[in-house]
Amino acid sequence: MSDEDTIGAGEHHDLTAAEYVLGVLGPEERRRAEFRLASEPRFAAEVAFWEARLGGLAEGVPSVAAPAAVWDGIEARLSAALKPAPERAGLWQSLAFWRTFAIASAALAAASMAGLVYLAQIPQGAPLLARLNAESGQARFVAAVNEGGDSVTIVPAELLSGDQQKAFELWLIPPGDKPHSLGLIDPSRPVRITLPKSLLPQVNRDAMLAVSLEPPGGSPTGQPTGPVIANGKLASL
Amino acid sequence: MDAEARRRQLVAAINRVVGGDRAALRLVYSETSAKLFGVCLRILGDRSEAEDVLQDVYLTVWRKAASFDEGVASPITWLVAIARNRSIDRLRSRASARANVPIEAAADVPDASLSAIERLEIGEDRARLRDCLQELEERQSAAIRSAFLDGFTYEELAEKARVPLGTMKSWIRRGLLKLRTCLER
Repeated sequence: MSDEDTIGAGEHHDLTAAEYVLGVLGPEERRRAEFRLASEPRFAAEVAFWEARLGGLAEGVPSVAAPAAVWDGIEARLSAALKPAPERAGLWQSLAFWRTFAIASAALAAASMAGLVYLAQIPQGAPLLARLNAESGQARFVAAVNEGGDSVTIVPAELLSGDQQKAFELWLIPPGDKPHSLGLIDPSRPVRITLPKSLLPQVNRDAMLAVSLEPPGGSPTGQPTGPVIANGKLASL
Repeated sequence: MDAEARRRQLVAAINRVVGGDRAALRLVYSETSAKLFGVCLRILGDRSEAEDVLQDVYLTVWRKAASFDEGVASPITWLVAIARNRSIDRLRSRASARANVPIEAAADVPDASLSAIERLEIGEDRARLRDCLQELEERQSAAIRSAFLDGFTYEELAEKARVPLGTMKSWIRRGLLKLRTCLER
């Protein structure tokens, strides 16, 4: 290992990378760590350090032959993924989930109900949804990949204070990849964003969506520069 | 074929997966699926769920092969990390609590019987890890092993060991700090 893979002496109290690798973090903390993993090279280097060092613990786990059906399933899913037919998952079921979630949230603003109605108008067949939570665990946005998979609609789930000095930028973070900007969004109303063609293969249920606060006009660097106010993984429900 | 040749073969296969080579994925699968299934099964404790996650693991390998960097991790380290992460994600998304596995269960994982390829790949790091774990208090190393192998959260570990949450966090964090100092020596 090179020196870059070791951890600097100044960081001896931040054990988040180790805790992430160990797996002791709760779901929300884990999601935040995943975001850092995708957006902070230094954090990613720490995770790599711990994965390499602690990985040896798995060595004593006995191997177990996997049934042949597992490989068959992998092949079937690879073949299905190559076809354009979108998964006809029950969007209504998903919406019911979101609605239940939304109603349960005491802090929910009226605006978000309008947003959910808007979401309900998206044609059936939209296979992927994400709930973007704040650090507190409260939902701030819900997002749905639209039918055809080439655009995403993002809806505020709570009223965010309209800070004119800041832009809200949406990011897509494929697993193991860095954030890709999807553009600026409006925190007060639903926005439909067309996905860049180059990113379409990355829009799947392992990818994460995140919103960061950026200078007006968006991040000057092409990577998030301000605080991440909400993030969540795409899931087919 | 010796272990080094097999390791190189695995690296080459992962690199071919980047180009969409299914036969290469099949090779990675046949070389490593028993190991990764064991890891998933250990964390999830449920066969059919572990089978499902194992599929996700290799589909992730299919998509993420480009991010594999031989200079950062050995192929086995990289694959085990994916298998653990997928299993832990599944565990955390489960609505119901899982079957109780006592914290002592971590101790029953045998230390021996390395395959040649594993010995080659993680032998040096493993020897170091073993030495460093031995420098920790017993309860610290037991908690760290159980967290890694069984995928328990701080809360679950505290409950299993019947200690307050703060105590468990402090055991593990102090253990990790000592471990880091020792591993960096």
